[in-house]
Amino acid sequence: MTSSEVGDFCDPMDAEIKAKIKNLVVFMCNECGQGAANTAGVARMGYDAAIRIVRVQCSGQVGPIQIMDALNNGADAVGVVGCCLGACHFFNGNILSMHRIKLMKKLFKELGYSDQFVNQWTARAAEGETSVGDFEDMVDRLAVAIKNKGTIKDGC
Amino acid sequence: MAVEVKVFQFNGCNKCFTESILLKLDSEDKVTYIENPKGWKEEKTDIAVITGYLLPEDGKILESITKNSKKVIGYGDCVTMGGIFALANQNGHKITPLKEFIDNASSINGCLGEIMELNQEIKGKSPVKLKGLCTVCKRKSTCDYMEAVHRQIEFEESDVCFNDLGYQCNGFVAQECKERCIDYDAPCRGCKPMVARSGIRMLGMFGTLMGNIEVATEHSVKGATDKLADEDDDITRSVPDVLGNFFRFTLPTSGLPQGRIPSTGSVLEDVFTGRLIEELPLIAGLLAGNKSISLVLNILEAYETGTKMEVGSCTKKIRKHLRKLEGDLGKATESQDAQQYKEITEKIRKIAGNMNLSNLFFGGFRSKITEYDNFDEYKAHPFDVVEGSYAHGCVEYKIDSDGKVTDFKIKEEAL
Repeated sequence: MTSSEVGDFCDPMDAEIKAKIKNLVVFMCNECGQGAANTAGVARMGYDAAIRIVRVQCSGQVGPIQIMDALNNGADAVGVVGCCLGACHFFNGNILSMHRIKLMKKLFKELGYSDQFVNQWTARAAEGETSVGDFEDMVDRLAVAIKNKGTIKDGC
Repeated sequence: MAVEVKVFQFNGCNKCFTESILLKLDSEDKVTYIENPKGWKEEKTDIAVITGYLLPEDGKILESITKNSKKVIGYGDCVTMGGIFALANQNGHKITPLKEFIDNASSINGCLGEIMELNQEIKGKSPVKLKGLCTVCKRKSTCDYMEAVHRQIEFEESDVCFNDLGYQCNGFVAQECKERCIDYDAPCRGCKPMVARSGIRMLGMFGTLMGNIEVATEHSVKGATDKLADEDDDITRSVPDVLGNFFRFTLPTSGLPQGRIPSTGSVLEDVFTGRLIEELPLIAGLLAGNKSISLVLNILEAYETGTKMEVGSCTKKIRKHLRKLEGDLGKATESQDAQQYKEITEKIRKIAGNMNLSNLFFGGFRSKITEYDNFDEYKAHPFDVVEGSYAHGCVEYKIDSDGKVTDFKIKEEAL
């Protein structure tokens, strides 16, 4: 599903759904991800109040255990933000976590849920709008999952 | 000191229940077997051993068992973690592990549960310390990322670690066991986990090992950067059944949400639906109790006749012998003859590898039965997935182009 399709399908301003989005846990890598969020903060860019940032050293530290812990403890959705492809500050942590998250998404589909509430994005430390855009995309995708009753909390 | 032991069989496969017949060997304990706990008249006992999978409605009986016994032991994966039947939780069934009913029950994991460990637990001895499965595995690890994920339909002989070769094996998170599927060229599916939430941990580990395989990414319009794509890619295509391979025995204890796939109504059919064709023999060997040999052979023969696979006369002869052994085993169980039971299971283990029948495969056997045999006469060969529907004896199933079972019918009365 592309972002434009998401936009067509669900109006992000749908107040009823918006009210259900309370906790969106985002694991952000200490380099590009957190860097982009800091840049966004310096530029005073606003983003959704439901976003809860967890700083990790590298997105490669995030796997199924962390994602399930977050979801089982009340998160509506989990996002991971790492460095751009080929720009991991360690070796290839962002690609490795993408592999794990892809398997997680498949697992949720096999259990009969939407796969839109778990995903991985990338950001550029110098551009705050990349992280803010990622957050918006996360909220939109979660809204679609809620509308389709595909989240674990069944519509939150 | 002799103790009084009562063994209860709840739902599903009775393999662990019949295995507990061995408790009678060389023991002064008074062992009684209760096949139908619902009709059980409450009696005081020292130790209650629970086998078979549990459903929420079994709570009342479990309560009375706990009240009447000094110690409760869960024996086998079905009781302790949900076991193979809990794969039906994907379809909304509510198979529940024992610890959700009773807090202080001891558990003996494994499919089949190891009788020696049960004996130790009954005698109150401290459990034997077990090593990790990889430390006792004959295969050698290269510690490289795999180049591609392979399925067992393209199996080749090798002494390199299954995961390095690209065959998914849960040995990393498993303890050494008696069944040892890995010794019969069948990758481990983790029936005896070493860590909590073993399936999820193994999923993360396998994702990492897949590092060299390309993952699909797409442009994110809002973020103006790349993101993980939703479309199918090499990752999802090469692991067609994540749930069945990583969470085969541990689904209710893994922390994953309850599945919402529509159910066919039967637990047994739901367990098989969605699984891969090459996994069917092992799954059938795990869950059909004292009828597992005939169920496995029916599944194999259905596919072999349907796809006109070549099966040697030697294979047919060994299979016929196995069916006969199954009949003998039934008789020994009925007459509760522990010595005879032990002798027959040893014979079955010699041919089929273990009581989960890991050595049986499409077209023949996975590994050599005795050193002096001509292995080429009964060897299993790589085969192709052919879409279609197959039937033989009590089973009927359809598989799709990926080799996934889409529809599974089983006449349970024939089991």
